[in-house]
Amino acid sequence: MIVHAPYARMLGIRTVAGEAGAATLMMPAAPSLEGRAGFLYGGVIASLLELACLEAVAQESGHPRPKPINMSFDFLRGGMMIDSYAQARLVRVGRQVVNIDAICWQTDREKPVAIGRMHLLLD
Amino acid sequence: MAEEEDAFERLKNLPLRGHHALLGIYTVDNGPDWAELACPFAPGFLMDVESGLVSSGPIISLVDAAAGAAIIARTRQWRGMATLDLHIDYLRPARAGQALHARAHCHHVTRKVAFTRCNVHDGDADRPIASATASFFFMEGA
Repeated sequence: MIVHAPYARMLGIRTVAGEAGAATLMMPAAPSLEGRAGFLYGGVIASLLELACLEAVAQESGHPRPKPINMSFDFLRGGMMIDSYAQARLVRVGRQVVNIDAICWQTDREKPVAIGRMHLLLD
Repeated sequence: MAEEEDAFERLKNLPLRGHHALLGIYTVDNGPDWAELACPFAPGFLMDVESGLVSSGPIISLVDAAAGAAIIARTRQWRGMATLDLHIDYLRPARAGQALHARAHCHHVTRKVAFTRCNVHDGDADRPIASATASFFFMEGA
């Protein structure tokens, strides 16, 4: 479980019950996660998206340790200092490469704070 | 009245707060259009204690900080900005116990947008662990 990793614990991330099939990660706001005053740090939001991808691939691909190739993030609106949620979806599981996308939202899933796409290598 | 402080000096002298404080981010060096920031390794950076696998989260956060600093190094202006997008390529795993260094260049600035490139290493600049690009938007009235 990704949430047991020291890094996920440092950010205070935990798993919450989400829609069937996909694990949802939740990160409560904390002063140590703040960027410019009143907003979550962009790098923290990106990290939450990446952990959601790793959690999804661990749960669904059955592969013990896929290697991250790269990841892209779009920051859509400022993250408020409130709970953030992230969920990832395996878009394609190939023989060697997994494509995943992830979404981060706060109060309204239809108004995402950030989205991400990740490639992982299975070898 | 004292002369206005240079924007990059102001950045360097800001008291550490928020996520920068959690990671212990500090400025290593800077030039006319670049900045190198670093943070010491912490056990909280690990994904897995047994294997010593380092999470890429602190690397992303350090890139975000270094890219913002590079923009201030180039523009010498203190303006509110938001990260529009960021792309990071993972070149090799970071080694547990090593400080992370990110050197970002701001290679272009328009009225509203700044473009940056960044290399990250964990002790040997010739063996980068990640490279990244990020663009930033200057916010109105901020």
